[in-house]
Amino acid sequence: MMMVASIFKYQPMGLHGWGIHDAFALAPRSCTNFEMFFSMRFASCNTRHHKLHGLHASISHASVFHPTSLSLSHHLSSKKLLSTQLAILKITCIPEWCSAISGCSDFVCFIAEAESTLILIRHGESLWNEKNLFTGCCDVPLTKRGVEEAIEAGKRISYIPVDIIFTSVLIRAQMTAMLAMTQHHQKKVPIIIHNESEQATTWTQVYSEKTIEQSIPVVTAWQLNERMYGELQGLNKQETAERYGKEKVHEWRRSFDIPPPKGESLEMCSQRAVAYFKDFIEPQLKSGKHVMIAAHGNSLRSIIMYLDRLTSQEVTNLELSTGIPLLYIFKEGKFISRGSPVGPTEAGVYAYTQSLAVYRQELDENV
Amino acid sequence: MAAELYYQAIGTLQSHSHLNNFDHHQKRYNNVVTLVARDFVSSNGLSIRRSNRSGQRSCSVIRSLASQTSVVDPVLSPSRSNAGDTYKKSNEAALILIRHGESLWNEKNLFTGCVDVPLSKKGIDEAIEAGKRISSIPIDVIFTSALIRAQMTAMLAMTQHRRGKVPIIMHNESEQSRSWSQVFSEDTKKQSIPVIPSWQLNERMYGELQGLNKQETADRYGKEQVHEWRRSYDTPPPNGESLEMCAERAVAYFRDQIEPQLLSGKNVMISAHGNSLRSIIMYLDKLTSQEVISLELSTGIPMLYIFKEGRFIRRGSPVAPSEAGVYAYTRRLALYKQKLDDMFQ
Repeated sequence: MMMVASIFKYQPMGLHGWGIHDAFALAPRSCTNFEMFFSMRFASCNTRHHKLHGLHASISHASVFHPTSLSLSHHLSSKKLLSTQLAILKITCIPEWCSAISGCSDFVCFIAEAESTLILIRHGESLWNEKNLFTGCCDVPLTKRGVEEAIEAGKRISYIPVDIIFTSVLIRAQMTAMLAMTQHHQKKVPIIIHNESEQATTWTQVYSEKTIEQSIPVVTAWQLNERMYGELQGLNKQETAERYGKEKVHEWRRSFDIPPPKGESLEMCSQRAVAYFKDFIEPQLKSGKHVMIAAHGNSLRSIIMYLDRLTSQEVTNLELSTGIPLLYIFKEGKFISRGSPVGPTEAGVYAYTQSLAVYRQELDENV
Repeated sequence: MAAELYYQAIGTLQSHSHLNNFDHHQKRYNNVVTLVARDFVSSNGLSIRRSNRSGQRSCSVIRSLASQTSVVDPVLSPSRSNAGDTYKKSNEAALILIRHGESLWNEKNLFTGCVDVPLSKKGIDEAIEAGKRISSIPIDVIFTSALIRAQMTAMLAMTQHRRGKVPIIMHNESEQSRSWSQVFSEDTKKQSIPVIPSWQLNERMYGELQGLNKQETADRYGKEQVHEWRRSYDTPPPNGESLEMCAERAVAYFRDQIEPQLLSGKNVMISAHGNSLRSIIMYLDKLTSQEVISLELSTGIPMLYIFKEGRFIRRGSPVAPSEAGVYAYTRRLALYKQKLDDMFQ
């Protein structure tokens, strides 16, 4: 732990609300078109826990993206040290959890869990879904029904902790996430991170620590986009069958590795989506952050293929419901599928882990 | 009338960041889509040189994908309208301005500026309500800021529009985003409304006040100073924009990118923010800086202007979709509404 403290310096808030660091080029599988990533420096959220004052939240957040942090975690030989470190990191991120703990011993037992939640939401109906057109990466918004589905999804996850949100760059996924979060019981505010340019970075800075504590960063990434459908984009099924022949179309839709003209195969989509997940999302989970991903049928299937270790045959048959969130628990490096949260009033998923049950109770008490 | 229009596939629009006013402006953040006309066609004898305006720009004709939709749109096609004012001849276009509704920081009373905060439940309802009010007004192209609250407002509003065309957000951040978002069906393109996000329509950037609440700000800087920043025209908060600076980039964008659309007969909707819209209204209504400071725009209540013969005529706010209200203002709008009514009978 002292090792941890000496490597990471606390970054004062001052003018840098949400700083932007150098391009995150750590992982060997970094995607080529990757733009600048960022390091989020949140203000200390542990004002109530003076014992932990030396290890600020900034460490836990920044460490995920700092080159040194990854090498540190790779060098950790002691499993115990790792889990304690993760636990400490988790504590500094989640003040709501801390307040439920009175005694020190309870504290230790509680944090030994080191588990985080992962929510996957596939967006609901888009205007082209309604018209039965192949959408792919065309940026088409939600229908009224899609809007309702998003709100409904939000109600189902309204008691599950969310520290950071990842979406694609397409509006239907972003809207789904933003609409869902209006239903969440905790009062943090999602804020979309902008790092397209120097100006975007400076112009979107936040200057209040307290406000930052109450924020949930939303990271947009093209790697989570829907599978790119090439020359099928905008065509309806009839047009497509006429243009290319029914069997060909069936092959593109059902195969794993055959792309439509100028498009991506499911395999290609998986490659960039899973790489992004491993490089950027998994580290968050490892550090104890609770993650929500709002994305698309194919990009989510690809991720599930990785989480559940599916074969390519299994993944081509996998159909994800729209607007119904899927829950995974990430614990000790493994992903445990927990199905779909049913309704906010049902005990259901909250019985799966003690942490979730405690979190929910906290929220109820705060209201 | 058969104006021959050359268009490019959606998604392959060329973007050029040659807005000379903005030195700090970087290409990657430029969501301004300057569409370069390969074949200039004018439906009403427009000159493409506007040397008295944005001086250094040589080509300021804007071609949009919507251009072909306006020609073939059955609702607006002159062959179906009565003799007299056809869509083309009247050279009239509708301009709708919508200020987004309540955001999550509005709710908490924090200065938002350019921080990208989404809508609250109330803001969502306001957007849908605004959409109902404009559900019978023609829209060919939509401009929004780069912030989600304005984009969501536009997309939610359009779910209520009766014409049934599909808004599609234009992406030109990179070569890949352009090629990946291409549409390959003519019919589909005709039924699309391009949505162009631009940072120039963003809210006024509030610098070091962003994220602070009014109390914190008064504590940090003193009440009079804060009052001055909020109410003056040309005094910016630390590291922020004054209303004047905001107006400069918003109005320049309007003149360069939006007005040409109106001139070519396109019906435009702008979904943006308090200060960027005020700035534009200052230009449309020729207000003084004193007048613009006092101008307050309601959230979620759209404002309608008719652009005709180079002038902007304010038409207030469309009341409710069932009321005659704004549709009585121009014959063309009344005809459009009639056609929609017929379509849905």
